[in-house]
Amino acid sequence: MTGRVLLNAFVALVAAFLVLPILAIVPAAFSAQSFIRLPPDTWSVRWWHTFFADASWRVTLLASLEVAALTTSISIVAGTAAALGIARSGPRARAFFTALFLGPVVTPAIVLAVALYSMARATGLVGTMTALVLAHTTLALPFVVLNVGVSLDGLDRRLLLAAAGLGADDFRIFRTVTLPLIAPGVVGGAVFAFVTSFDEVVLSIFLAGPTVKTLPVRIWEEIRLAYTPVVAVGATVMLLLALGAASVSRVLSRK
Amino acid sequence: MSTVQFAGISKSFGPVHALHPTDLEIPQGQFLTLLGPSGSGKTTLLNICAGYLAPSAGRVVVGGRDITSLPPRQRNMGMVFQNYALFPHMTVGENVAYGLTVRKLSRDEIARRVAEVLRMTQLEGYGERAIRELSGGQQQRVALARAIVIQPDILLMDEPLGALDRQLRKEVQFEIRSLHKARPRTTLYVTHDQEEALVMSDRIAVMRAGRVVQLGSGADIYEQPADTFVARFLGESNLLEGTVRTLADGRATLDVPGFSRSLEGRAAGGLRAGAKASALLRPESVRAQTGGLQARVGERVYLGELIAVKLTLDSGHELWSRRHAAEWSGRDVVEIGWDASAVSILPDASVQS
Repeated sequence: MTGRVLLNAFVALVAAFLVLPILAIVPAAFSAQSFIRLPPDTWSVRWWHTFFADASWRVTLLASLEVAALTTSISIVAGTAAALGIARSGPRARAFFTALFLGPVVTPAIVLAVALYSMARATGLVGTMTALVLAHTTLALPFVVLNVGVSLDGLDRRLLLAAAGLGADDFRIFRTVTLPLIAPGVVGGAVFAFVTSFDEVVLSIFLAGPTVKTLPVRIWEEIRLAYTPVVAVGATVMLLLALGAASVSRVLSRK
Repeated sequence: MSTVQFAGISKSFGPVHALHPTDLEIPQGQFLTLLGPSGSGKTTLLNICAGYLAPSAGRVVVGGRDITSLPPRQRNMGMVFQNYALFPHMTVGENVAYGLTVRKLSRDEIARRVAEVLRMTQLEGYGERAIRELSGGQQQRVALARAIVIQPDILLMDEPLGALDRQLRKEVQFEIRSLHKARPRTTLYVTHDQEEALVMSDRIAVMRAGRVVQLGSGADIYEQPADTFVARFLGESNLLEGTVRTLADGRATLDVPGFSRSLEGRAAGGLRAGAKASALLRPESVRAQTGGLQARVGERVYLGELIAVKLTLDSGHELWSRRHAAEWSGRDVVEIGWDASAVSILPDASVQS
């Protein structure tokens, strides 16, 4: 009995350690003061007003959404195609391509950032939307490949044989049998891709420029100049979007 | 519906011969069963017919047309898979309609043919159901409906009843049989279940180690098995090992150690005088006979109308008899016999593959 109480207490402590710092940012966003203090002495929504009224914030939020949407689209198409190819190949090619696609995830972000920055400089892409989307895609793609790959492993090959026997060509089989059955993996991969892109900061700092900047980069810049609650507002917005994406994937995967 | 011919079809996986060169013809409208243990090559032959597997050599000819290199989708065959392979994300109706939609038939035509085949397979009213809501027997019927609705040239079935319980299996056997009688389709059926093969088939090809060892009607194969393997695989059998003494005019005599007289019976092909062979006595032909061989009655197994009895001869041989219960009632020592017409002398099946 005491063992159980102790265990529960320990679990609660770990949960608090993990979650509280994140949740603490939410009340900070509703402060009336000009600096972050916990808990705020007086409450207001003035920083929310600032966040959405100030073009420099609004633009970065929109830029973040645009980069994430483009990254997700490219990752879904390329990642699903790659997963299909990997699923069809022999064991050695399979191991090789799986390692290749997982490379960017296990490479230290700063190494990848330096590498991509030098590539972007050489091609004159620094500070462009293209550079951000391509860089984010290298990080987001593996999640789609992985998720779709798991779905494909669970796909009964005989369903494809059955469809072929009934007269369907490869494209019809993909459209009517494969795709509907791996859809949960595609959606899961898409959510991961979106979130990965949306909160990416290291590569973005290197590749963003004065005209194209994502929300995390703007928060990072702001925090170095002034520790105002508008930073907490930006963080809260990101938190809500991440939660939203996670809920979408849960609802869709339950279907 | 078409005649199917396999001409010199073989398949090797590296050094392993899954199927030795095989010639086999299924006349139009015939129900042919490939019967054999696992690894006998029966599913390999079926998959070659469906186009899922390319043969190492030989040709598949359907209705006079060589289809050996055609992909499955151009073969117009209806396949029923072992575990049905129904599309889990589609309703019963969508599953059945799949092959028709692919063929770009009109919506009305599809609806009409789906309704007709659902009626035929006793699935009327199930069109809107999800696959997971169906029982095993119903799923089996959907798989069959999906295969026959496209009016295939050949119907292929790969152990389609393996996942059903015994009672249901019997019911579905008769259903498939009566569907076939009502509208004969050229059918290639694969099973390892001898009873299934006997109930449903026009002809049976018994397979072993990548070869067809015997081809014939169920009665042919049961009554005149080609060798000891076929005799054991189809039905119950008593086999007495011995040496061939004489061989003439389709009859043979066999010296069995411990028997004072040699056994006489129908000679199967492949016998040689002086070579080892076995005498086959089906249990139903072993009966009480005054003046026959002495035997002790051992184990008795009640089978309902019949009773199976283990008889031990003075020579030490054990024979099973399966007769009416009254024949063996209350006796420990009996005299037994059989008609010479019930005896077959068979070559021993070679063990090599």
